[in-house]
Amino acid sequence: MQTQSQSQSQGAPLPDHLFSGYRTLEGAYDELLLPDGAPRPEFQAVVKLLSAIAPEELARCQNLAELALLNQGVTFSVYADERGQEKIFPFCLLPRVISARDWDHLDRGLQQRVRALQLFLDDVYGDQRILDSGKVPRELVLGSKHYLPMLRGVRPPGQVRIHIAGIDLIRDPAGTFRVLEDNLRTPSGVSYVVENRLVSKRVLPQAVDQAKIHRVDHYPPRLAETLRSVSPRDPDQSVVVVLTPGPFNSAYFEHSFLARTMGLELVQAADLFVDQDEVFLRTTRGPRRVDVIYRRTDEAFIDPEVFRPDSLLGVRGLIRAYVKGNVTLANAPGNGVADDKAIYAFVPDMIRFYLSEEPLLEQVPTYVCAREDDRRHVVDHLGELVVKAVDEAGGYGMLMGPQSTQAQRDEFRKRIEAEPRKYIAQPRVELSTCPTWDPKAGRAVARRVDLRPYILTSREGPWVLPGGLTRVALVEGSYVVNSSQGGGSKDTWVQKPLP
Amino acid sequence: MISRVADHCFWLGRYLERVESTARVLYVTQTMAGDVELSPRQCWQPVVIVSGVSEPFAARFGADATGDGELVQRYMTWDEQNPTSIQRSVSAARENARSIREVVSLEAWEALNELHLFLQGPRATAEYDQERFFFYRRVRNAMQLTIGLLRSTMLHDTPLDFIWLGVILERSSQTARLLDVHHHAMTSMELHRVVQAALWLSILRACSGFEPFMKRHQGRVTRDAVAAFLVTEPQFPRSIRYCVHQGYLTLSSIRPPSARDLPGGVALERLRVLDHWLSEVQPAALEQGSIHELLTHVVDETAGTCSDIGRELLGYAA
Repeated sequence: MQTQSQSQSQGAPLPDHLFSGYRTLEGAYDELLLPDGAPRPEFQAVVKLLSAIAPEELARCQNLAELALLNQGVTFSVYADERGQEKIFPFCLLPRVISARDWDHLDRGLQQRVRALQLFLDDVYGDQRILDSGKVPRELVLGSKHYLPMLRGVRPPGQVRIHIAGIDLIRDPAGTFRVLEDNLRTPSGVSYVVENRLVSKRVLPQAVDQAKIHRVDHYPPRLAETLRSVSPRDPDQSVVVVLTPGPFNSAYFEHSFLARTMGLELVQAADLFVDQDEVFLRTTRGPRRVDVIYRRTDEAFIDPEVFRPDSLLGVRGLIRAYVKGNVTLANAPGNGVADDKAIYAFVPDMIRFYLSEEPLLEQVPTYVCAREDDRRHVVDHLGELVVKAVDEAGGYGMLMGPQSTQAQRDEFRKRIEAEPRKYIAQPRVELSTCPTWDPKAGRAVARRVDLRPYILTSREGPWVLPGGLTRVALVEGSYVVNSSQGGGSKDTWVQKPLP
Repeated sequence: MISRVADHCFWLGRYLERVESTARVLYVTQTMAGDVELSPRQCWQPVVIVSGVSEPFAARFGADATGDGELVQRYMTWDEQNPTSIQRSVSAARENARSIREVVSLEAWEALNELHLFLQGPRATAEYDQERFFFYRRVRNAMQLTIGLLRSTMLHDTPLDFIWLGVILERSSQTARLLDVHHHAMTSMELHRVVQAALWLSILRACSGFEPFMKRHQGRVTRDAVAAFLVTEPQFPRSIRYCVHQGYLTLSSIRPPSARDLPGGVALERLRVLDHWLSEVQPAALEQGSIHELLTHVVDETAGTCSDIGRELLGYAA
């Protein structure tokens, strides 16, 4: 690639480069290129760098990158597959680039959103002012299966509830970023952000270097600092652990990655026990007290005393220890009530209510089926809307109206009428596209992407990692970016502001 | 350190050493079968006995099947039902390492994972079919690389101690079983002096002990000299004495002898007694044919130590 880039004279068209013949998708915003194939003005330098890579060279690099991920065991397990099957999360070397200006806007918007969501959680587990004001319907909150009434009045150690947030964004045809959903329980994927950058740097060192982008490898130390900052005891003396369900969990790689890069113990529930409302670790030298638990286990399985009496999983008494203020759980239990897909519709109102600010980030107009008017509209317009079950994730339990059959629509109509609280609907928003390597065609093609930035909140407030997980629907025409259903990922390059 | 994690460390060490040893034994036996006047059965039977799988092997393939060197090698390399096969042991080592990815260094993990992925793919069977020696060598090298990387890239504290304890205790019983089986076989056979010497050299090679032995004995290869070397040589890293002593030192750093209130005292005491006993074994005493009893005692006490460790430190049920 070196020789080719030097042999090209300034500005001359490249004869056969990655983007030749690239066609943007009608009606979708392309992240990198304009409909006429020219780079967006803010990305001219990056596109030039990438164009210098011959397609054969990229194919070779792409193979190297996949092999590196496989050898390192950067894999996830697929539940639907045979038990224990590990796959690499498909990775496309062509990066998704975000301009400094766009990022500045996102950074501020995400901080604002997380601050408001945090205040909302404090409120619904406290005085419930927002429910009294009628801005958010009381029954929608108190009726959510993720609302935990037993935690009302409990202030978490360090006063933080959303230590780690992953906010999913999409970009509409006008190029406006919109929040698609909030993940405030155990958002995953950040290990791929760090690993993808490592691979990019290894196989495209010059492009990464010259693109002048923010680094992302300080996430793990930053997370460790965040976790220590909210310890109920002296942060420097605190024992912080990462709690995983174990090697068969689909995100196990990430759990071990985070423990390894933060230098913390990776524990399973059976390694922990509670004695007199203090949490201890079973070690070869006897019990050791634990102060902070970054839990990557589902809430339903953290304490059988509270959530599932029939479950053998979890740590008996953990919630009691938490309520007493003896251990920090990150994220705090009970957060699910704020990332509920129906509550989502009210986040702009929360921002106005708690912060007296106008929301900086747009979101997708949402019909909450629990509201009579909305429900009627939804049932009458099923063919145009995307219907989502409020408590499902990973792209499951959805109706894609425009692509659905009559039978599917009838089925969803019945389900909505039976349990309106369980459903919301949104107009289908066209996702933006990004040039993506197609190994069969041997060139870049337009594929749909989304973006999940990560926001850490310590005692001092929120901080946004300048980067994020760009997921890409690798299949032509597809909108589904989930790793469990044929999605892949890209490195996300956030440009530094010009000096 | 978390008991469950210690357990994975210990077994990681044991499996790594087991794979390395099996690959080395297969490599050496393959060489030996080519140039010694022994029946194929005399060559290959000890391999299944040393690995402790002669019964399941005979049950599946018949009592005389050890005469089929290819079958024995397939069984010891690929067989999914044989818990000591290379393929299964590598998977087991990897599963243990994967369960404690945050403990094992990235370099060591990659070395092990690469071997695992290689064995799952078509290149491995092709290499096994066409370049058998190269195949065994690759497996052995990958294991040595992994063990070496663990020691050179991990903190030298408790997790590595547990891995090393697994390696060294596995190695001690491998050497004991190997010597026992061959010693027994060769004492009961009438063989020419030259053939005998060639066989003892093979056993030394199977323990990577050929060159160290020669440095100590300058070419004087006798049954008793080899046996004494493998049992008592304090400076040879695969002798029983060396392994047990290392095991004692390693366990002492996990659980110091003075820390009487910490768990692990029973295992430590058992190892201390065995270590002391071995230090007093005189090479001359081995010449009177008591070696089988000695080796049996070593194997039993090593197994006893492992179950003490399991109960006291790794959280196994009593």
